Amino acid sequence: MSHGGGGHAAELFPEEQIFGVGIGLALIGCYLSHFLEPYGLSMLIGGLLVSAACVAGANTVRKVASYGLGTGVPSIGMLSLGMGTISAIAGVLIPKSFGLTSYTPYIAPILTLIISAIVGFIVGRLTVNPVGMKIPIMVRSMTFISIAGAMALLGFSAAYAGSLMPNIFVNNALNSGIMAVAFIVAGIAILHPFNACLGPDESHKRTLTLAVACGLLSWFIFSVIKLDLISIVISIVLWAIVYLKYVKMSFKDACCVLHTPEIPKKEE
Amino acid sequence: MFDINLIISLLEITIAGAIINASVYFIPVGGAPAAMATSTGVGTGTTQLAAGAGFTGLLAAAIMASKVGLTPEGIALILLSGAIGSMIMLGVTMLIGQLIYVFGVGVVPAADKCEIDPITKDPQKPYITPGTTGHGIPTVCFISGLIGATLGGIGGGLAYVALISLGFSPAVAGTIAIGFFFINAVLASYNIGGTIEGFHDPKFKKMPNGVIASTIASFVCGIIIILMAL
Repeated sequence: MSHGGGGHAAELFPEEQIFGVGIGLALIGCYLSHFLEPYGLSMLIGGLLVSAACVAGANTVRKVASYGLGTGVPSIGMLSLGMGTISAIAGVLIPKSFGLTSYTPYIAPILTLIISAIVGFIVGRLTVNPVGMKIPIMVRSMTFISIAGAMALLGFSAAYAGSLMPNIFVNNALNSGIMAVAFIVAGIAILHPFNACLGPDESHKRTLTLAVACGLLSWFIFSVIKLDLISIVISIVLWAIVYLKYVKMSFKDACCVLHTPEIPKKEE
Repeated sequence: MFDINLIISLLEITIAGAIINASVYFIPVGGAPAAMATSTGVGTGTTQLAAGAGFTGLLAAAIMASKVGLTPEGIALILLSGAIGSMIMLGVTMLIGQLIYVFGVGVVPAADKCEIDPITKDPQKPYITPGTTGHGIPTVCFISGLIGATLGGIGGGLAYVALISLGFSPAVAGTIAIGFFFINAVLASYNIGGTIEGFHDPKFKKMPNGVIASTIASFVCGIIIILMAL
């Protein structure tokens, strides 16, 4: 693949730092979306914090995909959400199987984190050994993106459903099909930033800015679905600020910017 | 807690994962070069094609599952419905793609990985533009794609049947099946590593590795799913 190739992408912040902060915020966001629902703040605060998981995932995708996956960047984003779906539903439903239904809101986010780490690690090992991927950081990255996908999916679904109790969560987020929306929205927020920015002149700052914009846009989509007016306004304003910054950054980094009417006329 | 039905469902999920993985190797995926008609196959990635066919199969299976019960005949009908849905989806994709390649781009469908088409016995090499790796979707790739779609639909349907018989509601079962499908399809696409033409492609011989990986991954997912359903 033309982009990166060696995987020595220059970094603004270390990957572990961004990942740790992103997942930490998302974990808090999952709890807050449950406990702040009586105050009507579950989408406003929960959604905002959960969008950090998309940034963490997008940053890890950047790191692993700069080695060249051979199948395009979207595949790893979809894999991340594939593992995330199973882990997120398992996190909510497994406590019920063991008779801990009333403790589910306390257990579910942590359990999702653990299950997604296990699934990500095993799938990562499988991509190295029988499948034969030659990327040295594959196992670690798979674990990371699996966690990011699971947290984004659980967080957005919980922010919409307003609860982590199995019966309410399944009824509001799964039977209404919101989780399918969360699947593709979070998936695109994770895979798109690097997919759009890759190339020889890729810069970490620009990719991260786009990742933040994508995270905020996902939050906006869920605010619209929930019809939470304050979240809609705040998310679209924040998104517009970050996205304008990204567009300006792209114009600055470009060799030259020619708008359509400025293309030189052919000499007669 | 230790129930024979759980073991059967676990086996069904594991086999479904292996079938989904195997199905991907049959589908003619051209990737980015095929989007410019400089490679054989449909111009998109493995994941997208397999997922498109698989989801249609899953929907077709789910509709049939809501009409018939989980008797042996019912399960056969569900799997068949999934296979047909998936085949229609991929068949239409390949047909319309082919129309664009032939009448829009103006290339002759030709396979790069075989001298003569194993099905029609037509020579292939003379029709390939120098510097490219084939064009469009020749007969052998089309047939191979249909076989792949059949397997994908059966695999998706089997996973859905297993989840429904574990007692999940259709929405939960469908969502889990989507995630499960993606894991297996992407594992196969990493093993293929880009493009494949179908069962005549040398990369088809990589299939055992992918199927082993998928069997293990599906078994792990199966255990997690069983824990949810206890």
